[in-house]
Amino acid sequence: MNELKKTAITLNVNNETYDMVAYPNRTLLEVLRDDLHLTGTKESCGEGVCGSCTVLVDGTPARSCLTLAVAVQGKEITTIEGLHQGEKLHPVQEAFVNHHAIQCGFCSPGMILTAYALLTENPNPTEEEIRRAISGNVCRCTGYAKIVEAVKSLAEKGR
Amino acid sequence: MSSGRTRAGGTKRNRLSSSSHSRIRCKRLAPSLESDQPSWPETWLSWLSFVTDSANPPFTPEKALSKHGEKQNNILEGHMRLPPFQYIEPANVEEALSIISTHRETVKIMAGGTDLVNRMKLRLIEPAFVMNIGKVRSMDDIDIGDTETVIGANTRLREIAGAPLVNKRFRAIAEAAFQVASPAITNMATVGGNILQNTRCMYYDQSGMVLNGLERCRKRGGTVCLAVKGGKRCFSVYQGDMAPALIAFDARCVLEKKGSTRTVSLTELFTGNGAAPFALEADELLTKIIIPNPEGIYSSAYRKLRLRGSTDYPLASAAALVSVTDDRKVTTCRVVIGAAGAAPKVIDGTSCEANFEAIAQKAYELAEGVDNLQMPGAYRRKMVSVLARRATKAAIDGIKEGM
Repeated sequence: MNELKKTAITLNVNNETYDMVAYPNRTLLEVLRDDLHLTGTKESCGEGVCGSCTVLVDGTPARSCLTLAVAVQGKEITTIEGLHQGEKLHPVQEAFVNHHAIQCGFCSPGMILTAYALLTENPNPTEEEIRRAISGNVCRCTGYAKIVEAVKSLAEKGR
Repeated sequence: MSSGRTRAGGTKRNRLSSSSHSRIRCKRLAPSLESDQPSWPETWLSWLSFVTDSANPPFTPEKALSKHGEKQNNILEGHMRLPPFQYIEPANVEEALSIISTHRETVKIMAGGTDLVNRMKLRLIEPAFVMNIGKVRSMDDIDIGDTETVIGANTRLREIAGAPLVNKRFRAIAEAAFQVASPAITNMATVGGNILQNTRCMYYDQSGMVLNGLERCRKRGGTVCLAVKGGKRCFSVYQGDMAPALIAFDARCVLEKKGSTRTVSLTELFTGNGAAPFALEADELLTKIIIPNPEGIYSSAYRKLRLRGSTDYPLASAAALVSVTDDRKVTTCRVVIGAAGAAPKVIDGTSCEANFEAIAQKAYELAEGVDNLQMPGAYRRKMVSVLARRATKAAIDGIKEGM
């Protein structure tokens, strides 16, 4: 059996620093959910296809199920818990609620973070750009139309 | 808030969740986790339970580790969790080379992790060491020169797809990078990792739950082929997107090892043997890809067949580069087919006649169509020839547009 040695890991999640001692074979997703109890990030396929585990690493969407926690030290990690502003929802979250872009809600954290990253990078995306951006996030309820509408409403607000 | 978290973290953590592997100390979590000394009744009780129930000693992280780390008998318990390994992060290329020269076969190199982590989760590989070269800064830029373009092996696919100059000069390469997967994956995945991804087969890329019930195939060191009955070799398929496009441009790759460097044509990197697809020594590291700028007026294209439009490996693919002289005479027509065998294949060696039907026919003859991917082999083989024609046509159309 291969040897396992614990290492000290310092993660910056949602602007808070977490120090921990963990085995290096832990993915970021496992650490976020099991150790930090930030269960907003979901695990579904575990192989990088579905996008429900999406988090932002230095502002760009990444698959936390394929990322080792040790490998993202020193990077800024944003999960869905880090988006709201106090008691108020983030505008992207509000748009999702207002446009009924949520049904079961399992894909929503990943969808919202992907949409947030897209809008940060490109405040005025076209429908094609929106569809391309969320192409890595699988939703089995909404049929995507409502999600695209929600993101589009924010794009139009920016205009 | 904190009390709820403590309860979940302190007692309900069970053996199925691997959470007990790490101990956290952070401001947000409950103070009880922070104090290492348990109160006296706790110590006493744990001692008592150890004495009275010696067959079932108290649960410790070490116990969890042995359960987690050993070869999984209960597949569900280890499902989608990573096997144990030691993590190494070199600061520069020299350090990386010295690490792989020491550990050789026992170390696996990780750049973006999108392929390697999956293979480890499926227990297809269980390396003793994982070396993350993703943070080696000297390996991740695109340098577009007058005679050749150098792409660092660590360059993220999204940067390649998004670089306007790459798109203008090497359209097939940009198209291939764009089509690899969704933005979240291409944000992580690198060109070097994409080139060096292992061959795939439905009878191989499976979790232990499936593989345990199958005979050991050639790809797993056995003597049978499950995809082709009585097959004398491994028929796994190379499903990389970048390699066919790069080979169309006659790209070379730089392989470094401690004390020496060699530059080989990308076609030489492939052995054509599905069981061991790369002619790469155990202590070599792919550091750069060099693409010569083609001469004359040229254009290129990449086409691929896949199940899902957003994220999928190619089930058939083709890249084409066509260059013409000023009076529109074709000087080069290089068509490369992918997902049609254990290596990308170039039609007619370096260059073929720009005749669509002939290209389609030759692509069909060259392609290997085995029923070991998500679509039938016969259909994939036909689609390789269709895509070869489409890619060539798109490249010629690209020239016409530019003229």
